[in-house]
Formats: sequence, C-alpha cells, structure tokens
Amino acid sequence: MSPVPTPPLATVAGLLTGRVAVVTGAGQGVGEGIAASMAAAGAAVVIAARRAETGEPAADRIRANGGTAVFERCDVTNRADVDAAVAAAIAQFGRLDTMVHNAVSPPGPPRPIQEIDDETIALQIATSTTASFHCAQAAFPHLQADYGSLILLTSPAGIEGSGNLPLYGAVKGAQRGLLKSLAREWGPAGVRVNAIAPVAWTPAMDTATAANPTLEARLRGRTPLQRIGDPTDDIGPVAVFLASSLSRHMTGQTLAVDGGRYLGL
Amino acid sequence: MAERRALVVGARDPGIAVAGALRERGWTATHLADDDLAWTDSTIDHLGHAPLDLVVHARYPAIARQRQAFIDLSAAHWAAAADEPLEAAIRLARAAHSRLAAVDGTMIFLVPLMASAGGEGFAAMATAAEGARLLAKSLAKTWGDDGIAVHAITLDPSAFLAADDAAGMAEANALHNAPLGHVPDLTTELTPIIDALTTNDFAGLTGASLVVDGGLWMPG
Repeated sequence: MSPVPTPPLATVAGLLTGRVAVVTGAGQGVGEGIAASMAAAGAAVVIAARRAETGEPAADRIRANGGTAVFERCDVTNRADVDAAVAAAIAQFGRLDTMVHNAVSPPGPPRPIQEIDDETIALQIATSTTASFHCAQAAFPHLQADYGSLILLTSPAGIEGSGNLPLYGAVKGAQRGLLKSLAREWGPAGVRVNAIAPVAWTPAMDTATAANPTLEARLRGRTPLQRIGDPTDDIGPVAVFLASSLSRHMTGQTLAVDGGRYLGL
Repeated sequence: MAERRALVVGARDPGIAVAGALRERGWTATHLADDDLAWTDSTIDHLGHAPLDLVVHARYPAIARQRQAFIDLSAAHWAAAADEPLEAAIRLARAAHSRLAAVDGTMIFLVPLMASAGGEGFAAMATAAEGARLLAKSLAKTWGDDGIAVHAITLDPSAFLAADDAAGMAEANALHNAPLGHVPDLTTELTPIIDALTTNDFAGLTGASLVVDGGLWMPG
C-alpha cells in the first residue's frame, strides 16, 4: 500500500502565547505530543506524569526546542497529586488556561468482559472517570478566570464501542457523558469542555503492533487516510485548536482525530 | 410457551416498572433491587446459574439521581454516583454472560437521556450511564458469536428523576413537547419494546442505541 500524500503541517506558533496548560500522562505518547505541540504554540506546560523517568525527559525535550515546560510527578488517581500539578502551574506560571486529561491505564490485551478481573476494572475506572473528576474539579476555579478549557482524551472506542477492548470502550464512553454534562454546566462560566478521540502511535500501539505484525496494515487498511496519526504533528495541533480561541464557539464536542477511521458522528 | 426468565437490576424506576410489566407479560422476572455499595458478582450468584433469556440493567442509585453542581461534588459522592454504578454495570455484564449465552439471550441497558445529551447537575449519573451505553455497544461486538444480543435504550429524564428535576432537565436541554404527545409509559410502551427485542423478529439486531422518548430528542 503506497502512502497517501500528506500536506505539510501549518504552524501553530503563537496560538497559545501567554497561556498555561497542564497535560496529564505527558511523559510519552499522545500526552507528550500534545504537550510538545502546545509548547510550540507558545504555552507554558506542566508535564504531569506518574514517572519521572519519562516526565523529566519530556520536559527537557520541550525546553531543548525553545519551549517552556516543567515536570510535576502526578498519579491522576490521587486528588492531591492533581491538585499539586495545578498548583505547580499557578506557582510557576501564574495561571492555568487548559487542563488536558490524557493519562490512562493501558487497556491490556484484547479480552471479553467476562475474562476481565476486578483489579483491571478498578484501575481503568480510576484513571478514566475518577481522574477526569479530579482534573476537572481541580482546574475549574482557574479555567473560569479567563476563558479556559478542559480537554479529555477519549477514544473511538468510546464512541462506537470496542469488541476487543469492551472495558476500555465503557470507560472512554463514560468520559464523554461527563464532558457533555460539564459543557452544559460550565458554558455559562465561559469554560469550554471538549474531547479528542485519537488513533495515533503510542507506546501501547507500539506494543500491540509488535505483538501482532499484521495489525498496522489492518489499521491502515481501515483508515481512509491510510496511516496512523503522529502524536505531535497530528493530535497535538487539534489540542492546540481546542485550547485556543479559534474554537471559542465549540463545547461538548468529541473530535475523532483518526484519519477518518470512524465516520459515525 | 417455554418459560422465559428475566433479571431486572435496579431498585427504582424504570427497573421496578419494567420488572412488573415483564411479569404481566408472562415472564418469570426476578427484580434485583440492590443499590447498596457492596455490589459484587455474588449479588446475583444467589440466583443460581440457570439460564437467563433477558437481563435488564437500570441500576442508578439514589445518590446518582440527586441534582448537584459538579464543582460541589465530594469525592465520595462522585465515587458512589459515577464510578460505582459504572463498575456495577460492568460486573453485571461479566456475571450475566454465561447465563445469557446458554439460551442466546438479550441484555438491555436502560440509560437516561443525559448520558448522550449531557445533563446540568447530573454529571455523575451521565458519566455512569454513557459508560453503560458504550458497554452495550462493546458487548454486542464481542458477544454476537455467543448468540447474545445487547442494546441500550435511552429514556427521557422523567423515567429516572423526580418530577421537578426532570422538568428542569427538559428545560435546560430544550426538550419540549414530545412529537408523539407524551413520553412513553414504562409499563405499556417501553416494556413491550424490550419484550420484542428478545424475539426472533429482531434476530438481526444487536448493538442498537434506541431512543424511546416519544421523539423528544433526535440525535444525529
């Protein structure tokens, strides 16, 4: 399969100048891509990640590219950690304009629901819905100060369901129930709430394609644009758009950034 | 006609109404009115392992049905109103699988409209309910090979909420004047649809997200 021509990427520079973001799960994968793109757009970014061995280097890479970033250790299932990440944004940069909740427990191998253990269920809920609660509540007082926004990372599985990962489909769908309600609730305060449903290269995708050599070709074959997204160049700019005033009339929406694989909205 | 066995989970309406109406329609319906927070697989184990032709999930505890601003929710409230009901729905599906597979059964999740349309003051309930709706789609994809059909049915807010709260939700979500002139009665209009979905007439349908609200809300 020959690759579909891809246009050069337009610059995001300046779109988020003076703005501040916290991105959870930003030590790698989609989270890091979003953080890098927001920094390229001019935002100061708090890399909120559970592990310093990924979070610190991610912040270093942003700084090496001329951006502004700090690392804050953050287990999103722990409210105190999320509060600390928000406090770091305020202490270091004086404000918080965008909270991006991206972190999630890896969904693991394909399994039907009847084979999923209690621990996995609890962990998926904790990192998806409980952590969304933490991030949204901790950020809101700051977001309402100056037209801020909350961005949740969901999944096509949270729109169309997933036969391979039914638990993942449920928790990612649950986040979309939250975002629509928050969009209604926070709209009058000028705070927007949106979601991104990406299909992109992540460590989890790397693992899956390594274990299943035909997976990448099958995914590409099901995708009109015939490639899997890049976290920084394909997913990140959409997060920048949602964080910027370019999307000021959008709230409660889920953008599927997946090369056209899901066309059901 | 062979005995048709159903399990309806949910201590309040629409669970109460559907369980009663199924019995009136000849089903052997067990109503599991257990909303306590210690819900586990063992909660339905006491039913034994007999096959189930139908499992209806409508379990949203009282705390999830209380209107409250998101920013004022305590962590405990969120856990009880969002996380626990979602986990319970997943556990119910897990426990129900073998019982449904034995007879090519049907599982139906009843969800409030705010799951897919959003609901001011009901973020926790909407979270749990939209999780349940997407669980239904996911299960449908997985369980088709086992002969199990799975659907979600979205109902208008009055099926779950106190009258004042339902009216407020209708106002906030611009749900005015159902085209059919009324929202469906749970006993005489919703339950026959549930019953029909278990029949061979609907053997070609699974993973459906039906909206049974008299036409109040027509998503794209």
